[in-house]
Amino acid sequence: MQRWKWSLFLILILAVTGITAQAQEKEAATEIMQKKEQAFYYPGTDMQARVTMELVTAEGQKRLRVLSMLRKNDPMSMNQKYLLYFHEPGDVRRTAFLVWKYPGRDDDRWIFIPAVNMVRRVAAKDSRSSFVGSDFTYEDVSGRDVSADTHTLLKEEKLGNVDCYVIQSVPKTPADYIKKLTWVDKKTFLLLKEEYYDEQNTLARIFTADKIENIAVDGVAQGIPTVIRRTMKNVKSGHYTQTTFNSIAYNPGLEDEVFSERALQNPPQKWIK
Amino acid sequence: MIKKIVQVMTSFSIDHPRRTIGITLAVTLLFAWQFPRIMVDTDPKHMLPLTSPVRQYNDQVERDFALHPDVIALGIVNKRGIANKQTLSRIVELTRRIKQMPGVISRDVTSLSTIDNITSQTGELLVKPALDRVPESARELAAFRQALLENPLFINRIISPDGTATAIYVPIEQAANGKEIADQINKLLPQAFDDDQYYLAGDPVARDTFGTEMFRQMGLFSPLAGMVMALALWLMFHSLPLIAANMAVAMVSIIWCMGLLIGLGYPVHIMSSMSPVFLMAIATDSVHIFNEFAFRFSEVKDKRRAVLETMAVVADPVFYSDVTTAVGFAALATASIVPVKIFGLCVGFGTLVILLMSFTLVPAIMMLLREERIPRITHQTENGQKSRLADLGEFCIQHAKAIAIVGGLALLIALIGLSRIRVNNNMVHWFKSQSAVRTADRVMNAQLGGTSSGYLVVQGGREDIIKDPAMLRGIEGLQWELEKDPRVGKTFSVVDYVKRINRVLHDDNPAYDRIPDSVEAVGQYLFLFCMSAKPSDLDNVVDYPFRKANIFLQLKSWDAEVMAEVIRRTENYLAAYPLPDGAVVKPAGIAYFNLIWSNEVLWGMLESFLWGLVLVLILLVIQTRSLWWGLLTFLPLLFTIALIYGVVGLIGKDFDMPVAVLSTLSLGLAIDFAIHFVGRFHLHYAETSNLKESLIWTVTRPGKGIFLNGVLFALGFAVMIFADLTPYITVGVLMAAIMLLSALMSVIYLPGLIHLFQGILGLRRKG
Repeated sequence: MQRWKWSLFLILILAVTGITAQAQEKEAATEIMQKKEQAFYYPGTDMQARVTMELVTAEGQKRLRVLSMLRKNDPMSMNQKYLLYFHEPGDVRRTAFLVWKYPGRDDDRWIFIPAVNMVRRVAAKDSRSSFVGSDFTYEDVSGRDVSADTHTLLKEEKLGNVDCYVIQSVPKTPADYIKKLTWVDKKTFLLLKEEYYDEQNTLARIFTADKIENIAVDGVAQGIPTVIRRTMKNVKSGHYTQTTFNSIAYNPGLEDEVFSERALQNPPQKWIK
Repeated sequence: MIKKIVQVMTSFSIDHPRRTIGITLAVTLLFAWQFPRIMVDTDPKHMLPLTSPVRQYNDQVERDFALHPDVIALGIVNKRGIANKQTLSRIVELTRRIKQMPGVISRDVTSLSTIDNITSQTGELLVKPALDRVPESARELAAFRQALLENPLFINRIISPDGTATAIYVPIEQAANGKEIADQINKLLPQAFDDDQYYLAGDPVARDTFGTEMFRQMGLFSPLAGMVMALALWLMFHSLPLIAANMAVAMVSIIWCMGLLIGLGYPVHIMSSMSPVFLMAIATDSVHIFNEFAFRFSEVKDKRRAVLETMAVVADPVFYSDVTTAVGFAALATASIVPVKIFGLCVGFGTLVILLMSFTLVPAIMMLLREERIPRITHQTENGQKSRLADLGEFCIQHAKAIAIVGGLALLIALIGLSRIRVNNNMVHWFKSQSAVRTADRVMNAQLGGTSSGYLVVQGGREDIIKDPAMLRGIEGLQWELEKDPRVGKTFSVVDYVKRINRVLHDDNPAYDRIPDSVEAVGQYLFLFCMSAKPSDLDNVVDYPFRKANIFLQLKSWDAEVMAEVIRRTENYLAAYPLPDGAVVKPAGIAYFNLIWSNEVLWGMLESFLWGLVLVLILLVIQTRSLWWGLLTFLPLLFTIALIYGVVGLIGKDFDMPVAVLSTLSLGLAIDFAIHFVGRFHLHYAETSNLKESLIWTVTRPGKGIFLNGVLFALGFAVMIFADLTPYITVGVLMAAIMLLSALMSVIYLPGLIHLFQGILGLRRKG
């Protein structure tokens, strides 16, 4: 009798500590993902970059996209504003794309089509769809709401010679992946690698951070570590996209007007040259 | 030289029957050893070698446009309209489950819940899957239905014009088995009997279902044919050992031939799967030997002497009839199609094995027969048969002219039929009219754009030429022209996307349902399109440098003729309205493959067949050492073939692959009887020098063997009428017809003709 009670007690203790340990682990994982989001998508107060995207088919055929990317963080929230202005291919020059990003709800998006001189609101129903035909999704470009997935810290391991957290994320509502593994640099909290598993539970896409540089910025001694070249590869089709950030400037002092519907048609030349 | 070897083999087998059987068994085991390594290939594309320009170009097109060659179509039909909550929920769920299946290329599964719809709502541009959420209220459902029917990109592809049918297109990996995936999809389908009906169609389903069925049917009908033949043999000879010997020859040749094929690492193709049935047919040739043996034994009453004498008389005809059969098949080696070549050489080899067995295994078995078990039945019925056959011989000689005239008339009608022969290949027609595959195909072709697909690739001279509005207008005009053909159910190209976006951008104003006027506008519209839609949507219709465009065709029939008409229309249209920049249009895709297949494979086989005819004629002239005798022996063959293919032409049956394969078989088989007849006639005539008596004797005695052989054969193959796949039915019917006809031709026409043309044939001098 006595022994039975003791065992029950023991099991209870174990269960409770187990559950709390698990909960703590989840909390830790979520925190890591939030720090990663901060380090990867939010550095500085604003940012200016010229971005080259190379879309490569399994056969080696290429398409090039060159764009200016402007970003500004909202000091009061996690909201951000993006302006993407396309230089190439030639026939789409001056096409521009404005995004007001709100984690937790649908973004606002506008597009300017110069050939018909028209600004159109674009519904952002599926931020998991491809960004301008590349292997990156809209969320890969501007970030995904951390609370949209359940995160678990799987393990800690070295990726090359960098100590990493490996976190598994499972979407709370159905998405194009059923599971994602993320390698986060323990020191810088930069995203180094991602593996996406699709509905067949097989590896579908791989993200890799190929080149990291410290970008000088006033007030930060050693600069801001930034992934300046990244690749997303669709393992199943063999298609991949390599994105290179050239001439990144943090905190250049972008005005709010840059991110207005009016500026979309005629953005200030000094920011997009 | 050859005669010597044959004699040595025969005498060895007669002296050491047990050892002969032992050696044969050992070698057979060696070939049987290879069987577990069997590979199957039912893809008609593989008929053309990997290096063939058509295949290479097709692969290039598939790479350029990220296309998947194998697509299963799941049709969903609801007579009251598919825009209801239950059907739509099922589509969402089915799509989700199908995407999880291994072997399915899930990123490109196209259904209402994955296909992007570009719309404009209250000034906002909206790109999202047509069915991203199942509408709840009746009003929402009506709006959803309307939205589908208003998008011309969807009509006939993903929704029927009356809204009662939709489809889920499931591309599968090339290594995947279409039937297995189709079976898995079948298990997902709701079991309840309600308004939804489901149909699985598409090339991989037909092909892999055929592949699976092929082996089931072959496994069922080869033994069945064998059993019927065994039964017929029993009725004729009442001797189990004889039946066993006949079957043994067939089995040995089948095992050697298939073992060699598999052992050399070749996959078993649709054609080579028919080899066993063919070999079984050819093996019945040994009936001639047994027939003669039975006669001889009842005359000389000494087994050893009967065997020796039998082998001496039948050696020549058996040798030549098997060699001509082998040559007929080997003639296929001149074809440019690899599986056809392999099939020809494989059956040719099997025939030579039968020849070898005729001089080894057969005499060995005859030697081991206990004397009291040697067929006595021949003795009893001989008189009855003899008189009837003798009467026939007499009749034929007396009415030779009339018979010849009737034959000439029949030949004339046959020629009319021959001129009407239509070369075509339609895989769906390989299934019976009521089969699931064909029903699905029929329903989906009636409701949607069509289950057969092809491509027309526009190749421009420079990059970005496809964005030129003039080029787009040219493509648009071509599409309109093609859609005038009612068998072309749907065409779509980059033009349809550009027009759609133009209209949507201008608040769905129908006036803008057209191609814009500047390259920039086209470029920006397409850019806008790929900003939200699946990248493959655009990749499927334009290549990366915008140098080529792909026009998708959905055709309502698998007939090669439909694609041929598409190409004709395209050529005529382009001659009148050339595309800018000297752009050319080249066809590709499965429908085009079928066309090439029909042309190249079937005409190739026809050509090989004609070569085979010439080769056989040459062989006959050599054997008979006389042009006229060679021609005479050749006549029943020519007659049989002309009549059979004349009928094929008259009843409008397509000259398709099974028929083409049969033509080569008929070559080898139909000649056998004439060779036996003429050979035996010569021997007897040399002994007696009495023309009429010799002819009647030949009709009576070897004629009996010929009739037995013909009937046996016809019976064996008649059972295939009950097969589930039409090619086997065709094979069964035609084989039986070839056999009976050539037996009749030999026995009825040869005596008459020999009598009629005795002068030319050099008989009068002897007589």
